[in-house]
Amino acid sequence: MTTIQAETVSGSPPPTRRKPRFGAQRANTLMWAGIFLLPSVILLILLRFAPMVAAFSDALAFGSTRGIWSNFSFIFSDPAFWNSLWITLIFSIIINPLQIALALGLAVLLTKHIPMVGLWRTLILLPVAVPQVVSAIIWLVLFRPDGPLNGITRALGLPSIPWLTEPGWALWSIIVVCSWVGVGYWMTFLVAGIREIPNSLYEASSIDGAGAWRQFWHITVPGLRRPLLFVLVADTVSNFLIFAPVRILTRGGPEGSTDLIMYNITERAYTLGDTGAASAATLVLIVVVIAVVAVQFRLMPGKD
Amino acid sequence: MASETLNERSRRTGRRALFLAVPIALLSIAPLVWALISSLRPGEDIFRFLYPISWETFIPSRITFDNFTTVLTGPFGMALWNSVFVTAVSVVVGLALASLAAFALACMDFPGRSFIFAFLVICFLVPFEAIAIPLSTTFRDLGLANTYTGLILPALGNGLAIFLLRQFFMGVPSSLAEAARMDGLGWFGIFWRIYLPLSKGPMIGAGLILFVFQWQSFLWPLLIAPAPDVRLAPVAIADFAQETGVNYGQMFAAAILTAAIPLLLVLFFQRHFSGSNANSGSKE
Repeated sequence: MTTIQAETVSGSPPPTRRKPRFGAQRANTLMWAGIFLLPSVILLILLRFAPMVAAFSDALAFGSTRGIWSNFSFIFSDPAFWNSLWITLIFSIIINPLQIALALGLAVLLTKHIPMVGLWRTLILLPVAVPQVVSAIIWLVLFRPDGPLNGITRALGLPSIPWLTEPGWALWSIIVVCSWVGVGYWMTFLVAGIREIPNSLYEASSIDGAGAWRQFWHITVPGLRRPLLFVLVADTVSNFLIFAPVRILTRGGPEGSTDLIMYNITERAYTLGDTGAASAATLVLIVVVIAVVAVQFRLMPGKD
Repeated sequence: MASETLNERSRRTGRRALFLAVPIALLSIAPLVWALISSLRPGEDIFRFLYPISWETFIPSRITFDNFTTVLTGPFGMALWNSVFVTAVSVVVGLALASLAAFALACMDFPGRSFIFAFLVICFLVPFEAIAIPLSTTFRDLGLANTYTGLILPALGNGLAIFLLRQFFMGVPSSLAEAARMDGLGWFGIFWRIYLPLSKGPMIGAGLILFVFQWQSFLWPLLIAPAPDVRLAPVAIADFAQETGVNYGQMFAAAILTAAIPLLLVLFFQRHFSGSNANSGSKE
């Protein structure tokens, strides 16, 4: 039975999703697609693509005696640049799984029938609304040696913590500041996704005796495939671009322990005035980001 | 009968989840509360009661609104208004452009579609901060320095918003659009009457992306619009922190005001997040 069906299917022309159209209809579709897409495509070309080409031409050292690639050989022989790549790698490996796990956990928690759930969700969402500059300034004061956080550790009988002044602590402090805003932000997309999952699936599996853990892995996670992919990609990219908290809280220090790549690049461009090396480092960052995202697209099961 | 036990069970899980949700909620709101309290204190009181911790650490003994009136009547008030205007325009125009582009990419068949989508993904991967320097040179040459247009334009080419909406539109059963086309509805009609009403949640999500991008943009306004009459709120706040002899009370008041407008928006749209979501009515 199955074999016969398979043969019939493979014998017939591949099934098309839509019926073949007349030429006029196709032209109509093409025209409307053009109208819908053109403004965005033009803006993206002018505002994103053209400056990228400009960055590329800045990075290549035309007419330099040390060769056209000298900006690249310069940054790759610079220990500070390697340090920055290393710090960015450690930062990404910690912060991305941390934020996504917390966001997913909170999204599941806040779609349960909790008494006054709206209130708790609002309180968790509020930091999302705080601009990065504002949150960095609030945390700068919280982290002061004589600030509220050390007031708490001392009240608990613990020693003062060098939040921003010790290499072993500073990167974690940056991670806390970024996650304070980040977790709630990414959670909103997962909450929206969980609401899309039909309740009947949970009811049916409850009747079959499935526990919360099984439901999470067999219904929630597969049902969240699209929003999870989006959050995974967008969170990773945005964490590669962290700048304001580093600038305001640590300026890359102490001892380069928070010198994330975006800060390193901006320092090269603004403080050192080395546009060529900054552009070369930017291109390295862009290549790394695109490679990571491509891998994530591959690893995600199913189509796109 | 069976559904009653299920309801009871879900309510019991909910009560247990409360023990997790409340501490997390209080923890996440604490820094904001502290900033708010500090903004209501006279400047010299802010660090006075931190150690040892007493009731005065949490409750201001002297409350003053001077910090707020001072910053609002000063140059910061102008910066706040500039931020409101620039962001409002960015969100409205940006959403219109992004949703149309996303609809075309998700629902319409035309040659080059996957090429345009790949181009879009590459564009949103390019960090805006990274290209800000070459772009600001172009903008200055075009005479867009210190103009609202110069501040608004970069927020409109937002590949991320398009990406998010496309992902959602792809999940809408294509049978809906096909049926509507049979009934003679044009492409814009399908977008306007079928897809948009179904996508309240994702539209709010995309609006949030546009809003966040513009409201907290810092490097770009610093480069392109440093003049006092077009200066935006984050730049003005950073100026506060860089002053010698920082007035922490006024700095926190400015911080609270800059955070307040997005906070009110989140409170307002909260209902849309928790409201019942799009039900396509399809059994697919």
